[in-house]
Amino acid sequence: MVASIMPRSLLLLVLPVLMLSASDPREADKDTSAIVQASYIYNIAKLVEWKDPALKSGNFKIGVIGNTNLYQELIKKYATKSIGKQPIEVLKLPRSAEAEPCHILFVGQADLALMPALYKQIKGKPTLLITEYQGALEDGSVINFVRVDNTLKYEISLVNSRQHKLEVGVTLKQLAHHVEE
Amino acid sequence: MLCRISTSFLALCWATMVMAQSDALVNANRKYQEGDLAGARVLLDEAVREHEFSGKPEAWVLRGFVYKDLYKKDPLGRDGAFFREEALASLFVSTELDTAREFSQSSIQAYDFLTKTLYNDAARALNELDQDKALAYYGKYKQAVLRLAPGRDLTERDIEFNNALGTVYTKRFNQAREQQEWFDKAVSTYRQVLVLDPANYGANYNLATLFYNRGVYNIQRISSENDIPSLQRIQEVSREFFNEALPYMLKAFEMNPRRRETLLGLEGIYYSLQDERQSDHYRALYEALEAEPAPEK
Repeated sequence: MVASIMPRSLLLLVLPVLMLSASDPREADKDTSAIVQASYIYNIAKLVEWKDPALKSGNFKIGVIGNTNLYQELIKKYATKSIGKQPIEVLKLPRSAEAEPCHILFVGQADLALMPALYKQIKGKPTLLITEYQGALEDGSVINFVRVDNTLKYEISLVNSRQHKLEVGVTLKQLAHHVEE
Repeated sequence: MLCRISTSFLALCWATMVMAQSDALVNANRKYQEGDLAGARVLLDEAVREHEFSGKPEAWVLRGFVYKDLYKKDPLGRDGAFFREEALASLFVSTELDTAREFSQSSIQAYDFLTKTLYNDAARALNELDQDKALAYYGKYKQAVLRLAPGRDLTERDIEFNNALGTVYTKRFNQAREQQEWFDKAVSTYRQVLVLDPANYGANYNLATLFYNRGVYNIQRISSENDIPSLQRIQEVSREFFNEALPYMLKAFEMNPRRRETLLGLEGIYYSLQDERQSDHYRALYEALEAEPAPEK
């Protein structure tokens, strides 16, 4: 009897708990490696001199083979910038050793199979090749991204840079993780 | 409806004792039954100040019901919070005085009803992202519950509340990422949950994600203005966030290895820590899970 005349029980509301969503590195704007690499490439472009007179005018071309996220990051943040008086032009190149002439050519690690042919193709040409695999400087790359202490750094081969008629600035050398003289 | 139920209940309880009561309580009860809550309130406020009634549980329980109904008439009104406080206080006094336990059951149920309204107000405030109001209501809820039942274990409630509060701080931080205080409060709140319940999946996962997304956000802010030294510093700062995130995400994974979000979280954290092998490992686990046939219904 008593129970039936008590105030009805009030239900507790469910508290608003949200499961957060982790950033997906497969999305271009959340790919931390691509973002860091793009910034390095832009800075490298500013700290290297292309001695070949033919490359001192026109657009400053940055070619990317593979790594779509890096290409998108370069387009998003740097495609409206200039290196000196040369406007940056970012090119997404086909997976082929017949690469269009560029000031900088980045080749992702997914395209290592192209490397032997690419080295032959750009040999002696004023193209700064940037790679991301172990032993790349020995193969002929000028700048290679390396993983050091859970961060991304770069190593440089001055020997290879000279072969491509590139003058690497002091700052770029000093900040490198490793320099091959 | 509740007012009539309460009135009926009190009339019933008093059936055997009403003759012994003085006019003040009888009149107050009559006004209450007639729905004149303001009139009943005046009489009861005076009554409980008098020595004759201040020690009588029936005076306090009736006052508690009157104030409870005043609160329910307009819970969001100017005096709503005051009415609720008075109702809780009166019902508590009645339970203390009611050694014969004549009114205890109804008092406790009414008291319980009111404490739940405090909890629900805290929940509504969290939904409105008003963390200060939520904290105030939740504090009052705990205080009210523990006043009546000092030994009551509210750990589960604390865990639920702090998980929800952490969500609010995270949303606040996502809305204004330059305000570090929201991030710090979110971290501290989830950590409080983990002190109470180290195996709380939600707090482990959310804390990991909070740190991880913070590290990613730092890197996302890199622009053409950043030179190489600043780029390296940003990476080092982000690395600390990724390293903070990792053990919590691993714990969440250990607790539930088949949750897709933890596999993606670990893939992302290891990727950002430049550990490609581990990142690929968790990606493969995720893809294997995705490839499993859907369970039959």
